[in-house]
Amino acid sequence: MSEFKPLDPLLHSQLRLAVMSLLISVEEAEFTFLKEKTESTAGNLSVQLDKLEKAGYIGIEKSFRGKRPLTTCRILPEGLKAFEDYVETLRKYIE
Amino acid sequence: MEKELSSKESLELITQMISKAKKEAAGDGSFHLLLWGWVVAVCNFGHYALEKIGYEHPYIVWLLIIPATGISIWNSIRTRNRARVKTHLDEMLAGIWISVFVGMLIILGFMSSLSFHQNPVILILAGVGVISTGVLIRVKLVRNCGMLLMMGAVIAFLLPVIDQYLVAGIAMILGYLVPGYYLKTTYRERV
Repeated sequence: MSEFKPLDPLLHSQLRLAVMSLLISVEEAEFTFLKEKTESTAGNLSVQLDKLEKAGYIGIEKSFRGKRPLTTCRILPEGLKAFEDYVETLRKYIE
Repeated sequence: MEKELSSKESLELITQMISKAKKEAAGDGSFHLLLWGWVVAVCNFGHYALEKIGYEHPYIVWLLIIPATGISIWNSIRTRNRARVKTHLDEMLAGIWISVFVGMLIILGFMSSLSFHQNPVILILAGVGVISTGVLIRVKLVRNCGMLLMMGAVIAFLLPVIDQYLVAGIAMILGYLVPGYYLKTTYRERV
């Protein structure tokens, strides 16, 4: 029997973890920024952001800059807690 | 991109993404230091020179502050609108510098109450802004240049009002232009 706590499956995915790691460092970030830094497609990123939003990990705000639609994401307290727990569990795995 | 990660890969990914976010948020932050450094230094030296040659209205040079304020506000709005990320550091720096600017405006509004010894007080406020910036962005040279502004304030308090303009001009070169050009050339990472 392992004493290790399982890693949060929602965060233990390459793209979702990449997004959360980017958002942890900033106050808020635009969709285009996340897409560029994670080198993902718009479709895949949208799906993963939606999953994180439904879990209450991130907040997504849709607005306009001029005539262009603007999607802004920010990490929520629940997401911050989940990320910290994930890193702590990861640390125990590595030790 | 839904790939199963090992613990090591997860940690590497987290580190890599945090580093990418830092780089995006960094910016060199030199624009305002250079703009205000040049404008205020020129105004101080101009006022000093005009008064020395006996010109009746030496304070006329300070009108340069008006377009500089416009350029400064325009640049801040443009940078803010173009930024794809917002950081806590940006918010803190903006808060500090807006407070410093408002403080300077209050001092300028009560120049006569200070018997026109406003320059040393303004240097103290500028010093607070530059030192805080240096501490927040973790660049020792910027912090030390802020200390020079404080020293300039002490020296200026010991001198007659006319000579305070000369000291303030030199202090602006050392306290604003030196860190401004340093940040511009080194483009330090922040956060």
